[in-house]
Formats: sequence, structure tokens, C-alpha cells
Amino acid sequence: MAPATKASAPSNGGGRLNIAARSPAAAGLFFFLLLWGAWALAQGDAKRGEYLAKAGGCLGCHTENEKATPYAGGRALKTPFGIFYGPNITPHPEAGIGRWNEQNFVRALREGVRPDGAHYFPAFPYPSFTRIADADLRDLFAYLKSLPPSSRASQPHDLNFPFGWRWPVWFWKFLFFSPGPYAADSALSAQLNRGAYLVNALGHCGECHTPRNFLGGPKMSRFLGGAKLAEGAAAASNLRSEGMKKSSDKDLKDFLQTAMTPDGDVAAESMAEVVRNTTGQLTPQDLDALVAYLRSLPTLPDEPK
Amino acid sequence: MKKSVLAAGLVLAVASGAALAQVKPDVLVKQRQSAMTLIGKYWGPIAGMASGKVSPYNADVVSRNATYLENLAQMPWDGFHESTKGEKARALPAVWDKNAEFVDLANRLQAETGKLATAARARDEAGVKAQFGAVGKVCGACHEGFRAK
Repeated sequence: MAPATKASAPSNGGGRLNIAARSPAAAGLFFFLLLWGAWALAQGDAKRGEYLAKAGGCLGCHTENEKATPYAGGRALKTPFGIFYGPNITPHPEAGIGRWNEQNFVRALREGVRPDGAHYFPAFPYPSFTRIADADLRDLFAYLKSLPPSSRASQPHDLNFPFGWRWPVWFWKFLFFSPGPYAADSALSAQLNRGAYLVNALGHCGECHTPRNFLGGPKMSRFLGGAKLAEGAAAASNLRSEGMKKSSDKDLKDFLQTAMTPDGDVAAESMAEVVRNTTGQLTPQDLDALVAYLRSLPTLPDEPK
Repeated sequence: MKKSVLAAGLVLAVASGAALAQVKPDVLVKQRQSAMTLIGKYWGPIAGMASGKVSPYNADVVSRNATYLENLAQMPWDGFHESTKGEKARALPAVWDKNAEFVDLANRLQAETGKLATAARARDEAGVKAQFGAVGKVCGACHEGFRAK
């Protein structure tokens, strides 16, 4: 409403419009700049997206190993249902996501659905990523689009019968998946909300640290309470344990930056990698928020062995 | 030279085998855990300085600690005797079930800490900083597959 009144008032905005009316070229330029500005705003900020990709730990599953091309896929994720391989998410038109538009990307992370409409297996942690805010999704997409494309073909998953079927994932989603971005809790401080967002949306900590039932759904009664990951391997720690609550903020932050406890004990490699790629890359404010949020959760004893 | 080292190694292996037969499993566990505790003690400051988290870099401390570490890295392994399988400890059954992998990691730890100590004694700060990641990786790899939590 306001601009219309302004345009009709000869004293201020009207003058510029009059010039524009007299010179179509200037008007064209003006509208071009306006549109370009709107387009640039809508595009998402790749630089911000780069930080979000670190906070989201995308690199871990979407890169085979430290020597491989980043985001070109190939990491094996061994689960009771079979082996999943992280796909290539560089903007290569055939091998990666080069043909995707922003909506495809938003739908993949928000709803766990491929551009062709098929369901993703929840090895892709969309139950967490669905909580990522719209603006952050746009920035993430802008960042991925800015990567050098890699032609490395994504490796097909190697799943046990019948988990290779995608349509039953619909039922899994019905049971365990509630799409939608994180809604800030007004009862919590801005810092705790930020911490909750980092832990539960981007960081997807619960994907490993919350135990799963026999269908692979999270046992929310033991949220972040530690989980066995694979037979004969280290378990993901209880993030709400007595011991953790007793650690000082400094010790917790040091661990999340160095993967080492104060007595020189070194974390298992899978967490050490998370520290290198994600928690060790967070800004001091975000690291503070993450620790503050974990601290705010009620203590949960370790599951009896 | 090579032969005498080999012979000494054999004698040691036999001697330690004989000695192990008399050590109770709970004591063996305590011994290997003590070696690990000391590895942590001397590793911490090296990791802090090599990663830049602790400054300034002190070449004397790094050299001393790396030398201790090189020796300590040889010590935990006798303690992972078959007889300790049922003891209450964080070691996973994989230590014995996938023993070749475990032994390989144990050997790698000794090789990588050896390189670290060589660089540290040569006052080669860049070399230490480059090597510290390799040592940390071996620690983490073994804690991944062979230690609960």
C-alpha cells in the first residue's frame, strides 16, 4: 500500500518515477537491478552454506575417505539392514545433483523424497534434516552448487532382503517421521534454542547417539542416551550420562575440538572424524550453545548391560 | 646386528610367555590399563602443542614425552593375553576374534610413535606436527573396533 501512495505523491518517490517514465532505458535498468537483487536474495548464500554443511557433517557420509574428492560419495555405512553408500552430491549433471533445482533439494531434506518421488532410506538422516530452516536449506543448496562437479558414479546400496525395497519406507515414515522445521521453544533461551537446532537438526547427533528399535526407529525414551552401533565395535556414548554432567564446560568443549579427554584418551575414529569435520569447525558461540543444550537435558543413566 | 636383535627378541618373547603364565588375568588387565593411562599422560601435551591448542610449542617437553611414548607403545600388548578374555574391562572380544587386525594396529602404533619420537628428538617441529595426526589415527582406529565406548 505504502509505495503506491508514495508514487502518487509528487514530493518524494514520484520524482524518480517521472524520470523513469521519461527514459525507458533507465526504467529498464532500474527494474533489472530490482529483479537481480530479488533473485540474488532468493538464491541462498554459498559461503553461509559452507559453514552449515560443516555443522551438518555432510562430508562424512558423502566422501569415501580423506583422500577422495569431497562430496563425491562412496562412504560405506554398515547397518543391520545392509551397507549403504553415500551418493555423489556434487553438481555433476549425471553423477551428482547438477540437474536438481532448489525445490528438489528442499524436498529431499525436508520430506526424505527423491526428485523422482521415491522415498530415501532413513540412512540419509532426514528425520533430523527435516528440522533445518528454509533459509539454511537454500544456503546449503547454493554451497553444493558451487562445488566442482565430480563424475564419480554413486555406488548402489548393498541391502539385505527385503530392505532394498523403497516403498515400505512409507510405513517407516508413518511410524517414525514427522516432517517440519525446528520450531523455537519460547520457554528456552536463544542460546538453548540454537543448541537444540545444532544438535537435533544440523548435527543429527541422535542418529548415532539415540538407540534404535528392531525397525530402525529411534527409542525416544532414551534420546541421546548412547547406542550400540555395530556388533563388535565401539558404542556411541550416552550424552546425558552422570559422567558427562560432571565434566566441566571447558573439558567438553576441548573434547569437541580435539577428540581428546583431559587425560589424553583419544576418541574412537568415527567420533574423531565428527570432531575434525563438524564440532571442531563450529564458531565459539555455536560450540557454547551445543554444550549448553546438552547440559540442559535431564540426566539419563546408562542402559544396564 | 640384525640377527642379535632377532635373537634377543625371541628370548624376550619366550621369557615373557613364561612369565605371563604366572600372572593372574586381573593383574594383566591392570598392567595393560596402566600402560594406556601413561600413554594418555604423555600424549596429551604433545597433541595439545602439535595442534596449536597449547602454546608455546616446547621442543624439550615434546622430545621427552615422545620418547616415553615410543617406549610405552610397546607395553600394553602382553596384557591382552587370552586368559584375560572374561575379565571386566573395556576391551571387546574382537581383540581375540580379529586378532590379526588388532596386532597390526598395535604394530602400527609402535611404528608411528617411533617416527614421532625421531622427529621430536631432531627438534623437527614441522615433522612432529605432520606425524601427530598419524599417531592419533591409529589410537582412534583401535578404540573404534576393539574398545567398548
